[in-house]
Amino acid sequence: MSALLEVNDLRMVFGGVVAVHGLSFTVPQHSILGLIGVNGSGKSTVMHCINGLYHPTSGSIRFRGRELTGHKPHEIAAAGIGRTFQVPRLFRRMTLVENLMVPVLNDARPTAEIIERAEHMLAGVDLFHLRHNYAEELSGGQQKLVELLRVMMFDPELILLDEPFAGVHPSLCKVFIDQINRLSEQGKSFILVSHDLTSVYRLSRHILVLDQGEKIAEGGAEDIQDHPDVIEAFLGR
Amino acid sequence: MTTLLLFQTLVSGIILGALYGLIGCSLTIIYGTMRVVNFAHGDFVVAGCYAPLVLLGLLGLNPLLSIPLVFIGFFGLGMALYYLIMPRLRRADDPELASFLSFYGVSLMAGAAMLYFFDADTRSLNYSFHPSVLHIAGLLIPTARVVALAAGLVLIALLTWFLYRTLPGKALRATIMNPGAIGIIGVDINRLSGLAFGMAIGLAAVTGVLIALVFPAFGPFSGMDFTLIGFVVIVLGGLGHPVGAILGGVFYGLAEQLSILFLPQSLSPVVGFALLIGTVMLRPAGLFGRVGLR
Repeated sequence: MSALLEVNDLRMVFGGVVAVHGLSFTVPQHSILGLIGVNGSGKSTVMHCINGLYHPTSGSIRFRGRELTGHKPHEIAAAGIGRTFQVPRLFRRMTLVENLMVPVLNDARPTAEIIERAEHMLAGVDLFHLRHNYAEELSGGQQKLVELLRVMMFDPELILLDEPFAGVHPSLCKVFIDQINRLSEQGKSFILVSHDLTSVYRLSRHILVLDQGEKIAEGGAEDIQDHPDVIEAFLGR
Repeated sequence: MTTLLLFQTLVSGIILGALYGLIGCSLTIIYGTMRVVNFAHGDFVVAGCYAPLVLLGLLGLNPLLSIPLVFIGFFGLGMALYYLIMPRLRRADDPELASFLSFYGVSLMAGAAMLYFFDADTRSLNYSFHPSVLHIAGLLIPTARVVALAAGLVLIALLTWFLYRTLPGKALRATIMNPGAIGIIGVDINRLSGLAFGMAIGLAAVTGVLIALVFPAFGPFSGMDFTLIGFVVIVLGGLGHPVGAILGGVFYGLAEQLSILFLPQSLSPVVGFALLIGTVMLRPAGLFGRVGLR
């Protein structure tokens, strides 16, 4: 499979702190890359660099062969990269349908068609009955689901999921996992950052382990689980 | 004091309050989307007061018919100003303070420009409606005020329709609620902010047209008064809350007019600022805002 995203020698320094140190990896097309590591290992910084919230100190990030570094978040989204957050960034005092409409601001299709699509997506995760409720009225897990749907409204090829299962009820986790699998079958690719290692092992064929901004291991779940550096990073010496 | 006088005052308060609300609404759109403290906002309102004066003098244009022209002209001016000033402000360490200082400079320049073109004397719009006064339920209300209120309500309705029914309006509200989330879903916040800035300056100028109909006089340096009223109104209504600003304006207008009726003249200007301080102390999110709105 050809690489959809190529990260080469990525380095991010904040003052004197090196948050990411010469990281390189690729995300093949139609894949789910797991990105794990303890708190402060640099996972979110990598995500921020990919979607343009941070400009890396050095290194390159190429998406479908096009350099992304230096571009603004909306340009990167337009290029085909979506992103969800650990704490969902919904528009709290807007209805679910309105939340899903905002990304397609420049869409030439009639508004009725956009609303129909938004409602169809909400129905797919059993939130249709809440379509006219404000986003702030939803549970944290439901908000994460709506954030994923909002990303899907602009149909990106690669989706960055930052801690999608943190603090989410197991029944909603199942809905979330089903969504990821369904989208994966449709050809979408993901980078999945999570502390829920069980879910990462289930969803990702390829996993990257970070510690203090450096890659300490990568491979399949079976390679990672028994890797001594990974065990040391997670459990301590 | 008669009940009639009280009702007369309440009607005046609502009419002026609706206009103050429009000033606050346009100011809060700018603050909400960009976190820009537009200290020159009142100067655009005053420039809007002069616009029908010029259009009436040059083209004989009815002030109400001048509204679309004024909006388009000031929308363009706002967009130009946005692209001239904002790219640098966005890079500032403290954009709110930088915008406050920059737009204070814009305010001084706008005041000086109006002084140059229109002299220091106060002016009034020499246009009257027939009949000049309407008798409504026993109250005597100047026709110009009724017309200004009607036009203000139409503007509020249009603004509400834009913000709640159109995609750019929804995106604007989304930006006010969570500016950090708008770029990551593919919306160009710079373009949207430029649109918001142009629209808000256009709305401020159109409010100026209505104020010229209602207020007996205005001068090149009246801008600061309107800016201060705008800030009081948006704090009352809840920062970054366009509909709250309208309601805050009505609340302020009523308080101002009632204070003129009940308090010594020298004390009435204090009422607005007492309301501001009281709101900040007792209800920082504003009367109609909510804590954690964003």
